[in-house]
Amino acid sequence: MSFIEIRNLCHRFPDGTLGIDGIDLSIEKGEFVVIAGKNGSGKTTLLRHLNGLLTPSNGEVILDGMSVGQDPRRARRIVGMVFQDADSQIVGETVYEDAAFGPENLKLDREAIRQRVVNALAVVALERLSEQRPHILSGGEKRRLAIAGVLAMEPEVVVFDEPFSNLDYDGIRQVLTQMLTLHKVGKTLLVTTHDLEKVITHADRLVILFEGEVVRNGAPADLLEETENFGVRQPCAARLGGEVPSWLD
Amino acid sequence: MAGLTALGYISGSGRLHRWDPRFKIVALIMVSLASLGTSLPVLSGACLLMLMVVIRAGVPPGALMRDLKPVVLLLLFIFLARALVTPGEQLFVLGPWPVTREGVIAGAAICSRLLLVLLAGVAVMASTRLSEIKAAVEWFLKPIPGVPEKRVGTMLSLIVRFLPHILDQARETGEAQRARGIENRKNPFYRVIRFSIPVLRRTFLTADQLALAMEARCYADDRTDAELVSDRSDWILMGTTVLLCLCLLMF
Repeated sequence: MSFIEIRNLCHRFPDGTLGIDGIDLSIEKGEFVVIAGKNGSGKTTLLRHLNGLLTPSNGEVILDGMSVGQDPRRARRIVGMVFQDADSQIVGETVYEDAAFGPENLKLDREAIRQRVVNALAVVALERLSEQRPHILSGGEKRRLAIAGVLAMEPEVVVFDEPFSNLDYDGIRQVLTQMLTLHKVGKTLLVTTHDLEKVITHADRLVILFEGEVVRNGAPADLLEETENFGVRQPCAARLGGEVPSWLD
Repeated sequence: MAGLTALGYISGSGRLHRWDPRFKIVALIMVSLASLGTSLPVLSGACLLMLMVVIRAGVPPGALMRDLKPVVLLLLFIFLARALVTPGEQLFVLGPWPVTREGVIAGAAICSRLLLVLLAGVAVMASTRLSEIKAAVEWFLKPIPGVPEKRVGTMLSLIVRFLPHILDQARETGEAQRARGIENRKNPFYRVIRFSIPVLRRTFLTADQLALAMEARCYADDRTDAELVSDRSDWILMGTTVLLCLCLLMF
Protein backbone atom coordinates (compact mmCIF):
# COMPACT_ATOMS: atom_id res chain seq x y z
CA MET A 1 0.00 0.00 0.00
CA SER A 2 1.22 3.53 -0.83
CA PHE A 3 1.83 6.15 1.85
CA ILE A 4 -1.18 8.17 0.66
CA GLU A 5 -4.06 6.26 -0.95
CA ILE A 6 -6.98 8.26 -2.28
CA ARG A 7 -9.93 6.02 -3.14
CA ASN A 8 -12.96 7.16 -5.14
CA LEU A 9 -12.89 10.54 -3.39
CA CYS A 10 -15.90 12.77 -4.04
CA HIS A 11 -16.80 16.11 -2.51
CA ARG A 12 -20.05 17.95 -3.01
CA PHE A 13 -20.35 21.48 -1.56
CA PRO A 14 -23.45 22.54 0.39
CA ASP A 15 -24.79 24.43 -2.66
CA GLY A 16 -24.75 21.17 -4.65
CA THR A 17 -21.63 21.90 -6.73
CA LEU A 18 -19.39 18.90 -7.26
CA GLY A 19 -15.86 19.87 -6.18
CA ILE A 20 -14.09 16.60 -6.94
CA ASP A 21 -15.51 13.45 -8.44
CA GLY A 22 -14.21 9.91 -8.00
CA ILE A 23 -10.51 10.64 -7.56
CA ASP A 24 -8.19 7.64 -7.23
CA LEU A 25 -4.55 8.44 -6.56
CA SER A 26 -1.58 6.82 -4.83
CA ILE A 27 1.43 8.75 -3.60
CA GLU A 28 4.61 7.11 -2.38
CA LYS A 29 6.74 8.33 0.51
CA GLY A 30 9.33 10.90 -0.63
CA GLU A 31 7.61 11.68 -3.93
CA PHE A 32 7.41 15.21 -5.34
CA VAL A 33 4.03 15.48 -7.03
CA VAL A 34 2.68 18.52 -8.86
CA ILE A 35 -1.10 18.73 -9.12
CA ALA A 36 -2.04 21.09 -11.92
CA GLY A 37 -5.37 22.39 -13.11
CA LYS A 38 -7.15 25.57 -13.97
CA ASN A 39 -9.07 27.61 -11.38
CA GLY A 40 -11.99 25.63 -9.98
CA SER A 41 -10.62 22.26 -11.11
CA GLY A 42 -10.67 20.93 -7.52
CA LYS A 43 -6.98 21.22 -6.53
CA THR A 44 -7.54 22.96 -3.19
CA THR A 45 -10.56 20.78 -2.39
CA LEU A 46 -8.45 17.67 -2.97
CA LEU A 47 -5.65 18.93 -0.70
CA ARG A 48 -8.07 19.73 2.12
CA HIS A 49 -9.15 16.11 2.24
CA LEU A 50 -5.60 14.96 2.93
CA ASN A 51 -5.65 16.31 6.47
CA GLY A 52 -9.35 16.12 7.20
CA LEU A 53 -10.19 19.80 6.80
CA LEU A 54 -13.01 18.65 4.54
CA THR A 55 -15.09 15.51 4.93
CA PRO A 56 -15.67 13.52 1.73
CA SER A 57 -19.17 12.99 0.38
CA ASN A 58 -17.93 9.63 -0.79
CA GLY A 59 -14.66 7.64 -0.77
CA GLU A 60 -11.75 8.04 1.60
CA VAL A 61 -8.11 9.01 2.03
CA ILE A 62 -5.83 6.43 3.67
CA LEU A 63 -2.76 7.96 5.23
CA ASP A 64 0.00 5.59 6.26
CA GLY A 65 -2.49 2.77 6.67
CA MET A 66 -5.26 4.64 8.48
CA SER A 67 -8.27 6.52 7.15
CA VAL A 68 -8.03 10.30 7.64
CA GLY A 69 -11.65 10.36 8.86
CA GLN A 70 -10.79 7.99 11.72
CA ASP A 71 -8.31 10.39 13.30
CA PRO A 72 -8.07 13.83 11.65
CA ARG A 73 -5.61 15.12 14.29
CA ARG A 74 -3.19 12.33 13.38
CA ALA A 75 -3.61 13.28 9.73
CA ARG A 76 -2.80 16.92 10.53
CA ARG A 77 0.38 15.86 12.31
CA ILE A 78 1.45 13.86 9.25
CA VAL A 79 0.31 16.31 6.56
CA GLY A 80 1.41 19.92 6.97
CA MET A 81 -0.38 22.40 4.78
CA VAL A 82 0.97 25.71 3.46
CA PHE A 83 -2.04 27.78 2.39
CA GLN A 84 -2.23 30.02 -0.65
CA ASP A 85 -2.71 33.18 1.43
CA ALA A 86 0.13 33.30 3.92
CA ASP A 87 -1.40 36.32 5.66
CA SER A 88 -4.40 34.40 6.87
CA GLN A 89 -2.24 31.50 8.02
CA ILE A 90 -0.11 33.57 10.37
CA VAL A 91 -1.48 33.69 13.91
CA GLY A 92 1.53 34.70 15.99
CA GLU A 93 2.46 38.19 17.09
CA THR A 94 6.11 37.54 16.27
CA VAL A 95 7.84 35.22 13.80
CA TYR A 96 8.96 32.95 16.66
CA GLU A 97 5.50 32.87 18.21
CA ASP A 98 3.89 31.95 14.91
CA ALA A 99 6.29 29.08 14.27
CA ALA A 100 5.60 27.88 17.83
CA PHE A 101 1.82 27.76 17.31
CA GLY A 102 1.76 24.20 15.91
CA PRO A 103 4.11 22.60 18.48
CA GLU A 104 2.14 24.32 21.27
CA ASN A 105 -1.00 22.66 19.93
CA LEU A 106 0.83 19.33 20.14
CA LYS A 107 1.30 20.00 23.90
CA LEU A 108 5.08 19.71 23.72
CA ASP A 109 7.15 21.07 26.58
CA ARG A 110 8.75 24.52 26.27
CA GLU A 111 12.25 23.25 25.51
CA ALA A 112 11.04 20.89 22.77
CA ILE A 113 9.00 23.75 21.27
CA ARG A 114 12.02 26.07 21.33
CA GLN A 115 14.18 23.43 19.64
CA ARG A 116 11.63 22.80 16.89
CA VAL A 117 11.04 26.50 16.25
CA VAL A 118 14.77 27.27 16.09
CA ASN A 119 15.28 24.40 13.63
CA ALA A 120 12.29 25.34 11.47
CA LEU A 121 13.29 29.01 11.29
CA ALA A 122 16.85 27.99 10.40
CA VAL A 123 15.60 25.83 7.50
CA VAL A 124 13.74 28.78 5.98
CA ALA A 125 16.50 31.26 6.94
CA LEU A 126 14.27 33.40 9.13
CA GLU A 127 16.09 32.97 12.46
CA ARG A 128 17.40 36.54 12.17
CA LEU A 129 13.83 37.85 12.11
CA SER A 130 12.47 35.70 14.95
CA GLU A 131 11.39 38.72 17.04
CA GLN A 132 9.97 40.61 14.05
CA ARG A 133 6.23 41.17 13.60
CA PRO A 134 5.01 38.89 10.75
CA HIS A 135 2.68 41.65 9.60
CA ILE A 136 5.59 43.67 8.21
CA LEU A 137 7.48 40.86 6.44
CA SER A 138 7.70 40.78 2.65
CA GLY A 139 5.51 38.36 0.65
CA GLY A 140 8.36 35.84 0.24
CA GLU A 141 9.27 36.03 3.93
CA LYS A 142 5.64 35.51 4.95
CA ARG A 143 5.42 32.43 2.72
CA ARG A 144 8.66 31.12 4.28
CA LEU A 145 7.22 31.74 7.74
CA ALA A 146 4.12 29.77 6.77
CA ILE A 147 6.45 26.93 5.73
CA ALA A 148 8.36 27.21 9.03
CA GLY A 149 5.06 27.03 10.95
CA VAL A 150 4.32 23.76 9.20
CA LEU A 151 7.86 22.36 9.52
CA ALA A 152 7.87 22.98 13.28
CA MET A 153 5.20 20.29 13.50
CA GLU A 154 7.63 17.88 11.79
CA PRO A 155 5.16 16.49 9.24
CA GLU A 156 6.10 13.73 6.80
CA VAL A 157 4.10 15.25 3.97
CA VAL A 158 4.13 18.96 3.10
CA VAL A 159 1.35 20.23 0.90
CA PHE A 160 1.68 23.58 -0.87
CA ASP A 161 -1.45 25.24 -2.23
CA GLU A 162 -0.48 27.62 -5.07
CA PRO A 163 2.80 28.50 -3.35
CA PHE A 164 3.99 30.99 -5.98
CA SER A 165 0.92 33.19 -6.18
CA ASN A 166 1.55 36.88 -5.47
CA LEU A 167 5.31 36.38 -5.19
CA ASP A 168 8.00 38.24 -7.10
CA TYR A 169 10.90 36.45 -8.83
CA ASP A 170 13.05 36.47 -5.72
CA GLY A 171 10.18 35.22 -3.54
CA ILE A 172 9.48 32.36 -5.98
CA ARG A 173 13.12 31.30 -5.92
CA GLN A 174 13.19 31.38 -2.12
CA VAL A 175 10.09 29.20 -1.83
CA LEU A 176 11.31 26.83 -4.54
CA THR A 177 14.63 26.47 -2.72
CA GLN A 178 12.76 25.55 0.50
CA MET A 179 10.77 22.93 -1.40
CA LEU A 180 13.86 21.29 -2.83
CA THR A 181 15.53 21.30 0.58
CA LEU A 182 12.52 19.51 2.05
CA HIS A 183 12.44 17.02 -0.79
CA LYS A 184 16.13 16.32 -0.31
CA VAL A 185 15.59 15.40 3.36
CA GLY A 186 12.91 12.90 2.35
CA LYS A 187 9.66 14.79 2.79
CA THR A 188 6.78 13.93 0.49
CA LEU A 189 5.73 17.07 -1.38
CA LEU A 190 2.44 17.86 -3.05
CA VAL A 191 2.25 21.16 -4.88
CA THR A 192 -0.83 22.56 -6.59
CA THR A 193 -0.36 25.12 -9.31
CA HIS A 194 -1.78 26.36 -12.60
CA ASP A 195 1.66 27.63 -13.58
CA LEU A 196 3.93 24.64 -14.31
CA GLU A 197 6.87 26.70 -15.54
CA LYS A 198 8.23 27.39 -12.07
CA VAL A 199 8.27 23.93 -10.55
CA ILE A 200 7.72 21.12 -13.04
CA THR A 201 11.37 20.45 -13.78
CA HIS A 202 11.87 19.34 -10.15
CA ALA A 203 8.77 17.14 -9.89
CA ASP A 204 8.69 13.33 -10.03
CA ARG A 205 5.09 13.22 -11.20
CA LEU A 206 2.42 15.43 -12.72
CA VAL A 207 -1.27 14.98 -11.99
CA ILE A 208 -3.74 17.05 -14.01
CA LEU A 209 -7.19 17.78 -12.63
CA PHE A 210 -10.04 18.92 -14.83
CA GLU A 211 -13.56 19.56 -13.60
CA GLY A 212 -12.90 17.65 -10.39
CA GLU A 213 -11.45 14.54 -12.04
CA VAL A 214 -7.92 13.24 -12.55
CA VAL A 215 -7.50 13.34 -16.32
CA ARG A 216 -3.73 12.70 -16.55
CA ASN A 217 -1.27 11.16 -14.12
CA GLY A 218 2.33 10.37 -15.04
CA ALA A 219 5.87 11.55 -15.68
CA PRO A 220 5.97 15.32 -16.36
CA ALA A 221 7.92 14.92 -19.60
CA ASP A 222 5.20 12.66 -21.03
CA LEU A 223 2.33 15.00 -20.19
CA LEU A 224 3.57 18.51 -20.90
CA GLU A 225 2.31 18.52 -24.47
CA GLU A 226 -1.24 17.85 -23.33
CA THR A 227 -1.59 20.37 -20.50
CA GLU A 228 -3.24 23.09 -22.61
CA ASN A 229 -6.14 20.74 -23.41
CA PHE A 230 -7.06 21.11 -19.75
CA GLY A 231 -6.56 24.85 -19.28
CA VAL A 232 -2.98 24.69 -17.96
CA ARG A 233 -0.37 26.68 -19.87
CA GLN A 234 2.43 24.58 -21.32
CA PRO A 235 5.86 25.81 -20.19
CA CYS A 236 7.52 27.99 -22.80
CA ALA A 237 10.60 25.78 -23.23
CA ALA A 238 8.41 22.70 -23.74
CA ARG A 239 6.50 24.52 -26.51
CA LEU A 240 9.79 25.10 -28.25
CA GLY A 241 10.62 21.42 -27.91
CA GLY A 242 13.29 21.85 -25.26
CA GLU A 243 13.67 20.87 -21.62
CA VAL A 244 12.10 23.15 -19.04
CA PRO A 245 14.93 24.86 -17.13
CA SER A 246 14.89 25.30 -13.38
CA TRP A 247 14.05 28.72 -11.99
CA LEU A 248 17.04 28.28 -9.71
CA ASP A 249 19.60 28.07 -12.53
CA MET B 1 5.12 45.27 2.69
CA ALA B 2 2.75 46.74 5.24
CA GLY B 3 3.78 49.65 7.42
CA LEU B 4 4.52 49.25 11.10
CA THR B 5 1.42 49.90 13.18
CA ALA B 6 1.22 51.04 16.78
CA LEU B 7 -1.47 48.49 17.58
CA GLY B 8 0.46 45.34 18.32
CA TYR B 9 3.40 43.79 20.10
CA ILE B 10 6.79 45.41 19.59
CA SER B 11 9.75 43.31 20.52
CA GLY B 12 11.75 44.65 23.47
CA SER B 13 13.43 43.75 26.74
CA GLY B 14 12.65 46.77 28.94
CA ARG B 15 11.00 46.67 32.36
CA LEU B 16 7.52 47.09 30.87
CA HIS B 17 8.10 44.16 28.51
CA ARG B 18 9.28 41.97 31.37
CA TRP B 19 6.39 42.88 33.68
CA ASP B 20 4.05 39.95 34.37
CA PRO B 21 1.04 40.38 32.01
CA ARG B 22 -1.42 39.73 34.86
CA PHE B 23 -0.08 42.81 36.67
CA LYS B 24 -0.21 44.83 33.46
CA ILE B 25 -3.90 44.02 32.96
CA VAL B 26 -4.69 44.90 36.60
CA ALA B 27 -2.71 48.14 36.24
CA LEU B 28 -4.62 49.00 33.04
CA ILE B 29 -7.94 48.52 34.84
CA MET B 30 -6.73 50.59 37.83
CA VAL B 31 -5.55 53.48 35.65
CA SER B 32 -8.87 53.41 33.78
CA LEU B 33 -10.87 53.54 37.02
CA ALA B 34 -8.63 56.18 38.61
CA SER B 35 -9.04 58.41 35.55
CA LEU B 36 -12.76 58.69 36.39
CA GLY B 37 -12.14 60.55 39.63
CA THR B 38 -9.46 63.10 38.83
CA SER B 39 -9.25 66.70 37.63
CA LEU B 40 -8.34 67.99 34.18
CA PRO B 41 -4.78 69.27 34.97
CA VAL B 42 -3.82 65.96 36.62
CA LEU B 43 -5.36 64.03 33.73
CA SER B 44 -3.33 66.06 31.22
CA GLY B 45 -0.14 65.31 33.17
CA ALA B 46 -1.06 61.62 33.33
CA CYS B 47 -1.61 61.58 29.56
CA LEU B 48 1.86 63.03 28.99
CA LEU B 49 3.38 60.49 31.38
CA MET B 50 1.54 57.65 29.62
CA LEU B 51 2.69 58.93 26.22
CA MET B 52 6.29 58.68 27.47
CA VAL B 53 5.60 55.12 28.67
CA VAL B 54 4.20 54.24 25.22
CA ILE B 55 7.26 55.65 23.45
CA ARG B 56 9.56 53.87 25.92
CA ALA B 57 7.72 50.64 25.04
CA GLY B 58 9.10 51.04 21.52
CA VAL B 59 6.07 52.44 19.69
CA PRO B 60 7.27 54.79 16.92
CA PRO B 61 5.61 58.22 17.49
CA GLY B 62 4.87 58.55 13.75
CA ALA B 63 3.02 55.22 13.62
CA LEU B 64 1.16 56.15 16.82
CA MET B 65 -0.02 59.44 15.32
CA ARG B 66 -1.05 57.75 12.07
CA ASP B 67 -2.97 54.89 13.67
CA LEU B 68 -4.69 57.03 16.26
CA LYS B 69 -5.84 59.65 13.75
CA PRO B 70 -9.42 58.29 13.59
CA VAL B 71 -9.53 58.22 17.40
CA VAL B 72 -8.29 61.81 17.59
CA LEU B 73 -11.08 62.82 15.20
CA LEU B 74 -13.59 61.02 17.43
CA LEU B 75 -12.20 62.79 20.50
CA LEU B 76 -12.49 66.12 18.68
CA PHE B 77 -16.10 65.35 17.90
CA ILE B 78 -16.79 64.48 21.57
CA PHE B 79 -15.04 67.67 22.70
CA LEU B 80 -17.08 69.84 20.34
CA ALA B 81 -20.32 68.15 21.31
CA ARG B 82 -19.66 68.75 25.02
CA ALA B 83 -18.45 72.30 24.47
CA LEU B 84 -21.56 73.20 22.48
CA VAL B 85 -24.32 71.54 24.48
CA THR B 86 -23.20 72.05 28.11
CA PRO B 87 -24.97 75.05 29.66
CA GLY B 88 -22.85 77.64 31.49
CA GLU B 89 -20.80 80.82 31.08
CA GLN B 90 -20.58 81.70 27.37
CA LEU B 91 -17.03 82.11 25.95
CA PHE B 92 -17.87 82.73 22.29
CA VAL B 93 -20.42 81.73 19.66
CA LEU B 94 -19.75 79.08 17.00
CA GLY B 95 -22.40 79.57 14.31
CA PRO B 96 -25.74 79.33 16.08
CA TRP B 97 -24.30 77.55 19.16
CA PRO B 98 -22.69 79.15 22.22
CA VAL B 99 -19.43 77.60 23.46
CA THR B 100 -19.38 77.56 27.27
CA ARG B 101 -16.49 77.48 29.75
CA GLU B 102 -18.07 74.50 31.56
CA GLY B 103 -18.51 72.69 28.24
CA VAL B 104 -14.88 73.21 27.23
CA ILE B 105 -13.64 71.93 30.61
CA ALA B 106 -16.01 68.93 30.59
CA GLY B 107 -15.11 68.10 26.96
CA ALA B 108 -11.37 68.34 27.63
CA ALA B 109 -11.71 66.15 30.75
CA ILE B 110 -13.62 63.42 28.89
CA CYS B 111 -11.17 63.48 25.99
CA SER B 112 -8.15 63.34 28.32
CA ARG B 113 -9.73 60.44 30.20
CA LEU B 114 -10.33 58.46 27.00
CA LEU B 115 -6.86 59.31 25.70
CA LEU B 116 -5.24 58.14 28.93
CA VAL B 117 -7.05 54.79 28.81
CA LEU B 118 -6.24 54.42 25.11
CA LEU B 119 -2.53 55.16 25.63
CA ALA B 120 -2.40 52.74 28.57
CA GLY B 121 -3.96 50.09 26.31
CA VAL B 122 -1.41 50.79 23.56
CA ALA B 123 1.43 50.48 26.12
CA VAL B 124 0.11 47.09 27.29
CA MET B 125 -0.38 45.81 23.74
CA ALA B 126 3.04 47.01 22.60
CA SER B 127 4.85 45.37 25.50
CA THR B 128 2.94 42.10 25.84
CA ARG B 129 2.95 39.10 23.54
CA LEU B 130 -0.46 37.83 22.53
CA SER B 131 0.29 34.45 24.07
CA GLU B 132 0.98 36.22 27.40
CA ILE B 133 -2.26 38.22 27.21
CA LYS B 134 -4.10 35.02 26.41
CA ALA B 135 -2.48 33.17 29.31
CA ALA B 136 -3.24 36.06 31.70
CA VAL B 137 -6.90 36.25 30.64
CA GLU B 138 -7.21 32.50 31.09
CA TRP B 139 -5.62 32.81 34.55
CA PHE B 140 -8.18 35.45 35.58
CA LEU B 141 -11.15 33.53 34.17
CA LYS B 142 -10.16 30.10 35.46
CA PRO B 143 -11.83 30.43 38.91
CA ILE B 144 -15.14 31.54 37.34
CA PRO B 145 -17.36 28.48 36.85
CA GLY B 146 -19.07 28.03 33.49
CA VAL B 147 -16.66 30.28 31.58
CA PRO B 148 -14.61 28.45 28.88
CA GLU B 149 -11.44 30.37 29.72
CA LYS B 150 -9.28 28.80 27.00
CA ARG B 151 -11.77 29.71 24.29
CA VAL B 152 -12.24 33.26 25.59
CA GLY B 153 -8.46 33.69 25.74
CA THR B 154 -8.08 32.52 22.15
CA MET B 155 -10.88 34.79 20.91
CA LEU B 156 -9.35 37.77 22.64
CA SER B 157 -5.86 37.11 21.33
CA LEU B 158 -7.20 36.65 17.79
CA ILE B 159 -9.07 39.96 17.94
CA VAL B 160 -5.86 41.72 18.95
CA ARG B 161 -3.89 39.80 16.30
CA PHE B 162 -6.33 40.83 13.60
CA LEU B 163 -6.52 44.54 14.36
CA PRO B 164 -3.52 45.49 12.18
CA HIS B 165 -4.76 43.17 9.42
CA ILE B 166 -8.25 44.71 9.45
CA LEU B 167 -6.73 48.21 9.46
CA ASP B 168 -4.63 47.24 6.43
CA GLN B 169 -7.67 45.90 4.62
CA ALA B 170 -9.64 49.04 5.47
CA ARG B 171 -6.77 51.18 4.16
CA GLU B 172 -6.57 49.17 0.91
CA THR B 173 -10.34 49.33 0.40
CA GLY B 174 -10.31 53.08 1.05
CA GLU B 175 -7.50 53.60 -1.48
CA ALA B 176 -9.27 51.46 -4.10
CA GLN B 177 -12.46 53.46 -3.63
CA ARG B 178 -10.68 56.81 -3.79
CA ALA B 179 -9.02 55.61 -7.03
CA ARG B 180 -12.55 55.15 -8.41
CA GLY B 181 -13.71 58.61 -7.35
CA ILE B 182 -15.72 57.84 -4.18
CA GLU B 183 -14.88 61.34 -2.99
CA ASN B 184 -17.23 62.73 -5.64
CA ARG B 185 -20.13 61.19 -3.73
CA LYS B 186 -21.04 63.66 -1.02
CA ASN B 187 -23.58 61.48 0.81
CA PRO B 188 -21.72 60.15 3.91
CA PHE B 189 -24.15 57.23 4.35
CA TYR B 190 -23.50 56.04 0.79
CA ARG B 191 -19.75 56.25 1.42
CA VAL B 192 -19.94 54.43 4.75
CA ILE B 193 -22.03 51.61 3.26
CA ARG B 194 -19.80 51.29 0.18
CA PHE B 195 -16.76 51.18 2.44
CA SER B 196 -17.96 48.90 5.21
CA ILE B 197 -19.50 46.09 3.15
CA PRO B 198 -16.26 45.07 1.34
CA VAL B 199 -14.19 45.52 4.51
CA LEU B 200 -16.58 43.30 6.49
CA ARG B 201 -16.71 40.72 3.70
CA ARG B 202 -12.92 40.55 3.51
CA THR B 203 -12.66 40.34 7.30
CA PHE B 204 -15.10 37.42 7.47
CA LEU B 205 -13.35 35.61 4.62
CA THR B 206 -9.98 36.05 6.32
CA ALA B 207 -11.48 34.79 9.59
CA ASP B 208 -12.73 31.67 7.78
CA GLN B 209 -9.32 31.03 6.26
CA LEU B 210 -7.65 31.57 9.61
CA ALA B 211 -9.96 29.03 11.26
CA LEU B 212 -8.99 26.48 8.60
CA ALA B 213 -5.29 27.25 8.97
CA MET B 214 -5.54 26.87 12.76
CA GLU B 215 -7.33 23.56 12.36
CA ALA B 216 -4.63 22.40 9.91
CA ARG B 217 -2.07 23.09 12.63
CA CYS B 218 -3.92 20.91 15.16
CA TYR B 219 -5.45 23.77 17.15
CA ALA B 220 -7.16 22.62 20.35
CA ASP B 221 -8.16 24.26 23.62
CA ASP B 222 -5.69 22.12 25.51
CA ARG B 223 -2.27 23.36 24.41
CA THR B 224 1.06 24.53 25.81
CA ASP B 225 0.46 28.06 27.07
CA ALA B 226 2.90 30.81 27.99
CA GLU B 227 4.34 30.45 31.48
CA LEU B 228 3.38 33.19 33.93
CA VAL B 229 5.96 33.90 36.60
CA SER B 230 6.01 36.91 38.89
CA ASP B 231 8.81 38.07 41.17
CA ARG B 232 9.50 40.87 43.68
CA SER B 233 10.16 43.51 40.99
CA ASP B 234 6.71 42.87 39.52
CA TRP B 235 5.16 43.62 42.91
CA ILE B 236 7.29 46.75 43.34
CA LEU B 237 6.10 48.05 39.95
CA MET B 238 2.53 47.21 40.91
CA GLY B 239 2.94 49.13 44.18
CA THR B 240 4.23 52.14 42.25
CA THR B 241 1.21 51.97 39.94
CA VAL B 242 -1.15 51.81 42.92
CA LEU B 243 0.53 54.92 44.40
CA LEU B 244 0.22 56.79 41.09
CA CYS B 245 -3.45 55.84 40.85
CA LEU B 246 -4.03 57.09 44.41
CA CYS B 247 -2.34 60.38 43.43
CA LEU B 248 -4.70 60.60 40.44
CA LEU B 249 -7.69 60.14 42.76
CA MET B 250 -6.48 62.60 45.41
CA PHE B 251 -5.84 65.54 43.10
